[in-house]
Amino acid sequence: MTESHLIRQAADGDARAIRALYERYAPRVYAVVRRIAADADLAEDYAQEAWIRVIRALPTFRGDARFSTWIHRIAVNAALQALRRSETREKRRAAMPEQVPAVSRTGDVLLQDRLEDALALLPDGMRQVIILHDVEGFTHEEIGDALGVAPGTSKSQLFKARAKMRNLLKTLAADSKDEGVASWGI
Amino acid sequence: MGHLTPEVLARLVDHEPTRDEARHLDECALCAEELDELHRQTDALASLPGLLPPPGDWDVLEARLRSEGLLEDPGLFRRLGLGTTPEWMRTAAALVLFASGTALGAGLVSAGNGLPGDTASGRGVVAGVSTTDDLATAAEEVRVAEQAYMDALTNYRTLLAARDGDEALGDPGTRIAALEYLLAAGQAAVRQAPADPFLNGLLASTLAEREMTLRRASTGNDLWF
Repeated sequence: MTESHLIRQAADGDARAIRALYERYAPRVYAVVRRIAADADLAEDYAQEAWIRVIRALPTFRGDARFSTWIHRIAVNAALQALRRSETREKRRAAMPEQVPAVSRTGDVLLQDRLEDALALLPDGMRQVIILHDVEGFTHEEIGDALGVAPGTSKSQLFKARAKMRNLLKTLAADSKDEGVASWGI
Repeated sequence: MGHLTPEVLARLVDHEPTRDEARHLDECALCAEELDELHRQTDALASLPGLLPPPGDWDVLEARLRSEGLLEDPGLFRRLGLGTTPEWMRTAAALVLFASGTALGAGLVSAGNGLPGDTASGRGVVAGVSTTDDLATAAEEVRVAEQAYMDALTNYRTLLAARDGDEALGDPGTRIAALEYLLAAGQAAVRQAPADPFLNGLLASTLAEREMTLRRASTGNDLWF
């Protein structure tokens, strides 16, 4: 079954088609909201909200953009808006619990874990910009639209975020060495 | 020129350096190495994998979608794989259901009047409508009609097998698999409309047919109608 056919069926409320779309895109949707939220419990709520929005909006999908892009934008907006409403800032500061990668990891596992940890330690604004730009590939104009800031602000936040991330990774790598864990650079 | 600041180095990941910055990078191994590390960091971020949502995520979402009326179970035709087939095929499937209902109704009249069909003249099935206004009597009429329908069907396939041989009956394994599929669809339909007499009748017929097919297959005497 083609994706466009699946989308049409899902737009009609077909349970199996909706489930199929969920299976296909859930890892990507969850990953972006999880990183933006930096908290597993919040991420669950945000992902649910994102999917509700996606299913509601399915009849309006006209195929102007790729479906994966469209669904991804909805997930990002849902997470950002939910985060703005959230009053659990302190909760997000807690260490991120274990998460399950959607694909098998090889030798990069330590690096990936360290990257996730460093992302979670960034201040909200920096984290959102670096996730949207460096992880998700948004342009500064798109980030500006999503976050309600000027593209120039997005740029300066990105450079600060990269620099801070670099320092955090150095610290995490040093901690790993102290604990006898092999370093993977960065 | 002193070392490049971390923010400047972060900018140089995806922007061209100024002439002074380029000259410094050529001369300063420390800054050049730091820029390389930032390139690696950015590449690694772009390669982060997706993350599996926690177990049970779909169940929660499904319940919420249902509560908001955003999720519907597919209808009987779609469950039978007919949701995407041409209209003529769906019509044909509808006719099959209609025909079974007609046969049921015909048997009901025949049994209700106590007048067995005149099979000798080929007019054994006469369409008609039950006129009873008593619920218990109507239910009994349905039961008797169902039995009459099944008997007629069994007789028909026996005659068909006698005329065309076993090759006309199809593969028993395939038939059982098809009946299992129909059974699953029937069970789902009854779950949605538990009090619907037609769906319950269809499910009961399918169950009976599956049992009979299994018995015939196990004795090597499959008779398909």
